[in-house]
Amino acid sequence: MILRLKDCHNFADFRKLAKLKLPSPIFHYIDGAADDEITYARNTSAFDDVDLVPNVLRGVEDVDLSTTIFGKKLDLPFYLSPTALQRLFHYDGERAVGKAAKKFNTMFGVSALATVSVEEISSMIDTPKMFQFYFHKDRGLNDSCLERAKAAKFDVMALTVDTITGGNRERDLRTGFTSPPKLTLASLFSFATKPMWGINYLTKGKFELPHLQDFVKEGTDVNSSIGNYFSTMLDQSMNWKDAENLCSKWGGHFALKGVMSVEDAKRAADIGCTGIMVSNHGGRQLDGSRAPFDQLAEIVDAVGDKLDVICEGGIHRGTHMLKALSLGAKACSGGRLYLYALAAGGQAGVERALEKYKAELVRDMKLMGCTKISDLSRNNLRFRT
Amino acid sequence: MSLKNCYNFKDFRNLAKKKLPSPIFHYIDGGSDDEATLRRNTESFNECDLVPNVLANVGKPDLTTTLFGRKIDMPIFLSPAAMQRLYHVDGDKASARAAEKFGTFYSMSSMSNNSIEEIANISGGPKLFQLYVHKDKSITDDLIDRSRRSGFDAMCLTVDTLVAGNREKDHKTGFTTPPKLTLKSLMSFAMRPNWVFNYLTGKKFELSNVKKKTDKGTNIAKSVIEYINEQYDPLMGWKDAEYCAKKWNGPFALKGVMSVEDAKKAVDIGCTAIMISNHGGRQLDGSRSPFDQVKAISDAVGDKLEIILDGGIRRGTHVLKALAAGAKACSFGKMFLFSLAAGGQQGVEHLLKNMHDEIYRNMVLMGCKSLKELNSSKLIYRK
Repeated sequence: MILRLKDCHNFADFRKLAKLKLPSPIFHYIDGAADDEITYARNTSAFDDVDLVPNVLRGVEDVDLSTTIFGKKLDLPFYLSPTALQRLFHYDGERAVGKAAKKFNTMFGVSALATVSVEEISSMIDTPKMFQFYFHKDRGLNDSCLERAKAAKFDVMALTVDTITGGNRERDLRTGFTSPPKLTLASLFSFATKPMWGINYLTKGKFELPHLQDFVKEGTDVNSSIGNYFSTMLDQSMNWKDAENLCSKWGGHFALKGVMSVEDAKRAADIGCTGIMVSNHGGRQLDGSRAPFDQLAEIVDAVGDKLDVICEGGIHRGTHMLKALSLGAKACSGGRLYLYALAAGGQAGVERALEKYKAELVRDMKLMGCTKISDLSRNNLRFRT
Repeated sequence: MSLKNCYNFKDFRNLAKKKLPSPIFHYIDGGSDDEATLRRNTESFNECDLVPNVLANVGKPDLTTTLFGRKIDMPIFLSPAAMQRLYHVDGDKASARAAEKFGTFYSMSSMSNNSIEEIANISGGPKLFQLYVHKDKSITDDLIDRSRRSGFDAMCLTVDTLVAGNREKDHKTGFTTPPKLTLKSLMSFAMRPNWVFNYLTGKKFELSNVKKKTDKGTNIAKSVIEYINEQYDPLMGWKDAEYCAKKWNGPFALKGVMSVEDAKKAVDIGCTAIMISNHGGRQLDGSRSPFDQVKAISDAVGDKLEIILDGGIRRGTHVLKALAAGAKACSFGKMFLFSLAAGGQQGVEHLLKNMHDEIYRNMVLMGCKSLKELNSSKLIYRK
């Protein structure tokens, strides 16, 4: 039974504690994925189709985990993916996650659907920051997001390209998850049994979406499911020309988040991107789509010399990261990787999770006989046939 | 359930679970992280199938082979395993006597609760000493000298424990050596009164081979993880291994080699054998299983080194597959530790008898008269 943060040793433990602390619609919003959740499961099980082959007797007292992506040196080869609505998971939300990221000097991804503003985050942390952007129908909103992120000195802009319409997240349909949370008869019991969450939600500052609320009411004053938000607010006509325009308007490090095909990866390089996040949105959009890790080698082979390729999705362990890095990813990232920990214990929770992953990476690097990330190569992987 | 009802790995494991306090059971039973490698070690044997030849005039198949310069009666032996007195009051004495009776190797861990000399006195059977390179080099030298004086046949140096694996079950149960009572584990100890009685009335728990040099693990309750991280030298390199091989100057193996490249280097520094092993899935989770890797290694160095497959063995057919893929012999830890916990010397003998009979029966079914006949033509890999 996991009741306290100090009982949490791994991803599964943080998840259990988050389940204990969150009202069920909110837990399942994080925990769920699209349709039958086949892609969600595959994102992690894909790592089991390849094995690590260590080299011994190499003298490995000091391990350097640092890597450079988007021109920024990070102390860890993974970072925190942008995720929406973090104050629903813990009342400190992005404040907690940002401070934890700063402490470990890794990149913090801030979502357009964040519940704390880019300005506040920027005044709080001076470590690398990524702003994640959704292409809205409302061009005024788009311009405002870009300008504010630039003014707040964000280092990287990531345009999400896999949410042109909302994924079919059936758990949200059953629990009635919306933003802001709406009490329904079905969810009443669940909210009532987690009174601490309710008290914090109601007393620790109003729930806001500071990047959007001047333009749209959905998500703040009007309850909306996330699927519905994507389907009605985002511009489904978005195309490569729009991405190219945004990229040049931003004028700095620019990534596409949600690229899965080699063809698209090449086009990303052509339009001036400096990186891509190979991702299927954590299995939350197109079920049956390929796992990032399964697709990684092809993409690295095609564009690894031109773009920083990030492997996002399914990562639960240091060894998963070692496998992705061995295949040629520049870094890894994850959302659930820290969201359960956020729900489990706010900033202290995220820090504990980062500490655990870091300790795993150091230990696993030593066991592999490697002292720096560039020591990892395909030479130390064998795919099962 | 009693010893005589133990027919296979699962039975021994079940009986051990009944007899041991849970932190101790889980220390044997657990692997690292998600235990993916632990599972794979055994599952990998299912990816290929044995192809028998019939009408081969088998008669009585010969199970003998030579290993580390000694003739042994069957191609399996007991891997070195630490702290056997936690599993049964007779500890290493029980396993050493059982191995001698079945004409095969017993292995002694650096972290044994019996001393090198003590075991040499009670067993004339084939004996392998397992070495860790300690930060304090005089510990390493002392162990090598004493093993030679006591007539051990071979030495193996463990190379996959530069840092301890993430054994999460031990975090949860609070396993330490010597065992420490915590509120959490109290119940589990209280419900195994026989174990506690034997533990307290038997010889004092100590790490006999290193106790003069360090009191860690003997007088101070340490988790094995802390012990490894404190005592073993993380800077250990090929030069250190070569030093040990030269100093020992006899049959010498590296335990925990997984890459072809490292297997070739082992030849270069003068090893006579390697144990392909990922430490029973207890170190790097997600690492390759010994059986998945044995063929590539055997193809590269099989004519220069004796190749021992360590890890995942549960059945006689697993041994046959390993030999057909290029191993000279197989070894196992968990399986015999469960049998030790289940019934001391008698338990280990019962297990070795079972394994002998399985290998014998399967050799007959395969149509093989001697172990040499097991080669890659007897295996078909599923695609």
